[in-house]
Amino acid sequence: MTHGRPSPTNDAQIVVSGLTKQYRNVLAVNNLSFTVEPGRVTGFLGPNGAGKTTTLRMLLNLVTPTAGVATIGGHRYPELTNPLGHVGAVLEASSAHKGRTGINHLRVLCAAAGLPRERADQALELVGLTPAANRKFKGYSLGMKQRLGIAAAMLGDPRVLILDEPANGLDPEGIRWMRGFLKGLAAEGRTVLVSSHLLSEMQLLADDVVIIAAGQLVRQGPVDQVIGSMAQGVRVRVRTPQADALTAALAQGPATVENDGQGTLLIGGVDAPTVGRAALAAGVELHELTTERPDLERVFLELTAGKAGIR
Amino acid sequence: MSNLVRSELLKIRTTSTWWWLAIGAFLSIALAFAFNAWLASETLTGGGEEFGYTGDAASAPAQAANLYTSGQYLGLMFVMLIGILMVTNEFFHQTATTTFLATPRRTSVIVSKLIAASLLGFAFWLVTTVIDLAAGAAFLSLNDFGTQLGEWEVHRALLLNLMAYAIWTVLGVGIGTLVTNQLGAVITASVLYLIGTQVVGLLFLLLANLMDNMAVLKWQVIWPAAASQVMITPGENEMLPVWWVGALVLVGYAVVSGVVGVLITRRRDIS
Repeated sequence: MTHGRPSPTNDAQIVVSGLTKQYRNVLAVNNLSFTVEPGRVTGFLGPNGAGKTTTLRMLLNLVTPTAGVATIGGHRYPELTNPLGHVGAVLEASSAHKGRTGINHLRVLCAAAGLPRERADQALELVGLTPAANRKFKGYSLGMKQRLGIAAAMLGDPRVLILDEPANGLDPEGIRWMRGFLKGLAAEGRTVLVSSHLLSEMQLLADDVVIIAAGQLVRQGPVDQVIGSMAQGVRVRVRTPQADALTAALAQGPATVENDGQGTLLIGGVDAPTVGRAALAAGVELHELTTERPDLERVFLELTAGKAGIR
Repeated sequence: MSNLVRSELLKIRTTSTWWWLAIGAFLSIALAFAFNAWLASETLTGGGEEFGYTGDAASAPAQAANLYTSGQYLGLMFVMLIGILMVTNEFFHQTATTTFLATPRRTSVIVSKLIAASLLGFAFWLVTTVIDLAAGAAFLSLNDFGTQLGEWEVHRALLLNLMAYAIWTVLGVGIGTLVTNQLGAVITASVLYLIGTQVVGLLFLLLANLMDNMAVLKWQVIWPAAASQVMITPGENEMLPVWWVGALVLVGYAVVSGVVGVLITRRRDIS
């Protein structure tokens, strides 16, 4: 590594460094830096208008950054010798000519990238769209459009996948298919970067997350670590007809108790066995005792609170 | 580059728009041919003065040249529209994203569109000319005017017609890169082509009268459609510049719009 050439393992690493985009009235992305590693699914999260799409488009050379640089395997996108063979991207579901058939849309891209024609058929097969190959794009459902976008991204068998809100418009079956598909790609050692605002879906899908708000980085890291880093950790949820008695019983310890006034307590600072023991000692009747771990949604909302999405 | 040109030609082949434009062009050939055939037969039987055809313009080769290039007026507009659509379609259907992902070097994309456009212009010319030659030669020989196919004036008209088709398609691509709004570009270009030329002609006539100098009319050549007319018109007089002036102006427009289009496209944010 004495020269600038990236090692093979870094071939699929995404590095965003000091990326900034100033539109006429809006600072869409502000000095943003993060890295995305191969072999993992990375969720790119942020409220609407946080600058996710602009960032992805700068990474792909579709939008010119005001400052900073984004590289894939050490190269800026236009410097890649075989872009479709290196990076596959799905940016918006509607990016095909409405009067062109799905298979022809892919053939046009194959021709441009110098790929054999058969890749178009294989890519359609891969996303399960073969039966609709000769149907015009305007007759596709939103889910079919998403699948065609993924087929286009997979044409060159790329090592890096970049997807902007791929779950939009998919039905539950489609979402489950997508989850398995992307996890499978990451398991093959590919880099998968997925932007989304569907947090429960991201918790199931992502290994790492990059959270941005108002164009700036808020948090980056493995999902568990990001969730664990929050001050509001594990809480115990209790349902009891004797809420006041239990609150009094816990008053001596480190517990913090939140009473909703309808028989449900949210207790922080102690674990479930401690609460159970205290209830038994005080003779309090319990109807429910559960440990509540913070989920990605709660962490996300706390992290991005007050950073208005619309600027 | 050949991959990109192939991709551009495939884009055109796989949509139906160009079929409609081709049908339009061939309808206009049929109409123009019928009219020109009637004109030739009247002129060559001595009635040319009624239409302002005297001297060289009333000769058999001149009339044959006119007949063999029938349909050019609207045909040029149709190839220009195809050139425009080659670019504006990418923005209208948001395919610019996938196009520039497959080929991030945008200059190559525009240059391949220019090459594909001129190939298409050539194909349009070829088909038009074959139709015109077959029908025209049949008409002229049936009426005993002679096919005139050996005349340089006819050859010249055919070659300049080819040049016009190629340049107007390229010009269309240039216009498309400058005005990416599909409806805006198509309507503006059609109106300017069809009506603009008459308006410009009228303005120059007024100007010539005002300045009491008919030579002012020569300057109409700065208008692309007028330049196209100058290029294909034989001869030269105080109101009409020599043909290559028109050719130069037209090539100038194509080059400038192409270069500006490339520069703009390189800097444009695709979002």
